[in-house]
Amino acid sequence: MTGAELVLKVLQQHGVKHIFGYPGGAIMPIYDALYDSDVQHFLCRHEQGAAFSAIGYARSTGKVGVCMATSGPGATNLVTGLADAMMDSVPVVAITGQVFSSLIGTDAFQEMDVLGMSLSITKHSFLVQSLDELADVLHQAFELAQSGRPGPVLVDIPKDIQIGSVDFEPYPINDKKFPAIDQDAVTAARDLIGAAKKPLFYIGGGVGLADAIDELQDVLEYSQIPAISTLKALGTVPGDYAYNLGFVGMHGNQAANLAVQECDLLICTGARFDDRVTGKLDTFAPNAKVIHLDIDPAEISKLRTADVAILGDFKQILPQLKVAPHTPEWLERVGGLITEFAWRYDYPGENIYAPKLLNQLSKALPEDHVVSCDVGQHQMWVAQHMLFSSPRNHLSSGGAGTMGFGLPSAIGAQVARPDATSVVVSGDGSFMMNVQELGTIKRFSLPVKIVLLDNQRLGMVKQWQELFFEERYSETNLSDNPDFITLAKAFDIPAISISKADEIDQAVEQFVQSKGPILLHVQIDDKDNVWPLVPPGKANHDMIEGN
Amino acid sequence: MTHTINLIAQSRPETMERVLRVVRHRGFALNAVEMKNCDKNNTVNIQLTVSGERPISNLEHQLKKLYDVTELELNSALSQSAVAMNA
Ligand SMILES: Cc1ncc(C[n+]2csc(CCOP(=O)(O)OP(=O)(O)O)c2C)c(N)n1
Ligand SMILES: [Mg+2]
Repeated sequence: MTGAELVLKVLQQHGVKHIFGYPGGAIMPIYDALYDSDVQHFLCRHEQGAAFSAIGYARSTGKVGVCMATSGPGATNLVTGLADAMMDSVPVVAITGQVFSSLIGTDAFQEMDVLGMSLSITKHSFLVQSLDELADVLHQAFELAQSGRPGPVLVDIPKDIQIGSVDFEPYPINDKKFPAIDQDAVTAARDLIGAAKKPLFYIGGGVGLADAIDELQDVLEYSQIPAISTLKALGTVPGDYAYNLGFVGMHGNQAANLAVQECDLLICTGARFDDRVTGKLDTFAPNAKVIHLDIDPAEISKLRTADVAILGDFKQILPQLKVAPHTPEWLERVGGLITEFAWRYDYPGENIYAPKLLNQLSKALPEDHVVSCDVGQHQMWVAQHMLFSSPRNHLSSGGAGTMGFGLPSAIGAQVARPDATSVVVSGDGSFMMNVQELGTIKRFSLPVKIVLLDNQRLGMVKQWQELFFEERYSETNLSDNPDFITLAKAFDIPAISISKADEIDQAVEQFVQSKGPILLHVQIDDKDNVWPLVPPGKANHDMIEGN
Repeated sequence: MTHTINLIAQSRPETMERVLRVVRHRGFALNAVEMKNCDKNNTVNIQLTVSGERPISNLEHQLKKLYDVTELELNSALSQSAVAMNA
């Protein structure tokens, strides 16, 4: 068979059924092999869309997402998506066509140093050197993308290797390997938890990535230790857990931010002390000892020194950390904070209050749903006000904060979970960044549902200009937005537009009931901001409340 | 603070680039570098002297994370037997 056929064979061996991509000269042999393969290809309308769809596919299922592009500009268009996957530890395999090996280094047409470009934005990358190593490299790519801390892996395949002929040999798929757990560290951690008066779990995306949600929930229930969640962890701690403090950080809930400042033991579980979580780092959880659980040794003591660190598989570690509940006063305090700072939805006037709308929509969605969002104020409102029963149901660009993530990510999730309701919550700025993917929705008749929160502003930047740049609104006014209803129509997507609170009930109903794709255009006040907020460089207990 | 790092890695055309990129990006200056091909297992031995204010353990972990890096020692020569085994 040809190298191109081998590529598809190996993908199938790894269970790949769907690929997102865009063809071009240097990857034509693979597209030719795809023509009569069982693997289904989704033509996106920009390679960045393909990369984000692969991410949505991966994040909504835990499987590897695959994207594909041609050499040169095709590959450069993948770069932002791969960087996003890198920051959020998403298992993605990207396959790029490269010019003939003999032409590499000659500035040939569409020849770019993709391997060079990939170094800082992938977990690993390969430029296939010979047909002999092609299968092996692809197997390594799939193993690497999923092993340890997951991440994107790029395989750049020169055209001569795609057209060369080669034999296919089946390959045993290896089970994941984990480091042995340091039992002394487990004992030390148990001692710390037993001695703590105010212990707190700080949950990150790692718990979902390790597929250890049940194990975590079990420890929480048994030990009655309160928990705070990062953006990527939302959905990990059950919503009805009595000591679920929720979202922590810059736009987190006050209860979570105050509890973390008061705790005397922080059990960091698959999180990484990101600055959007900690605020001013040296003021974060100032009285706490730290237990750090992770699969990636590089995260331990990177930003905050750990008193005890345990490396390994959370499925094995977490069950060993069950300690009898012993902190009734702390639990009472936490319960009080949760009640005191519960989100409120009273909003004066007739206009639409986006947090309330999102909360209402969230409750109206069928059980099996995925919400993808873009980046900005609307993203924070989604995190604050929508309810998630799994981190696989909340896809948000965390580490990279990439506008344009939402729509293609929702497409990937819809392909991966055809029975689920896939919803995008986007902003008028972000939506335009990958708006071409409406073409993908149309082409594959995907029932993706879109909520567009239109404040005619790059709202999050505007908010910072208002608060920290003396209301000098430089380049954030989008009052010349296109007519989004007409735009949707051009792609056969029905659309409704609302601007008053009394229109919400009917619109939400219509939106949820719709069988196919739909756009709900929501006009909101450009002055609405995201509260509370920890100003940059401030401590988490110095949150400000506006409006 | 100056540190010496001695590592063994799979030899790929870009191995050195990967190592140097991590050194720079993680906040260290490169003072000296030497690379030798070990012809048996298709590996290379790289010795780096770096300086920087940040904790060296961060750089150590990031370098170990590189898929191609198989062994790494900080502030000490790799045991002669390890180098010999790979030579
Ligand atoms: C690709 C990219 N460019 C720029 C930014 C900086 N940025 C963050 S939020 C934001 C505004 C987003 O506007 P919109 O999508 O309308 O959301 P809103 O904040 O108004 O809800 C910008 C420009 C970014 N995060 N990503
Ligand atoms: Mg906006």
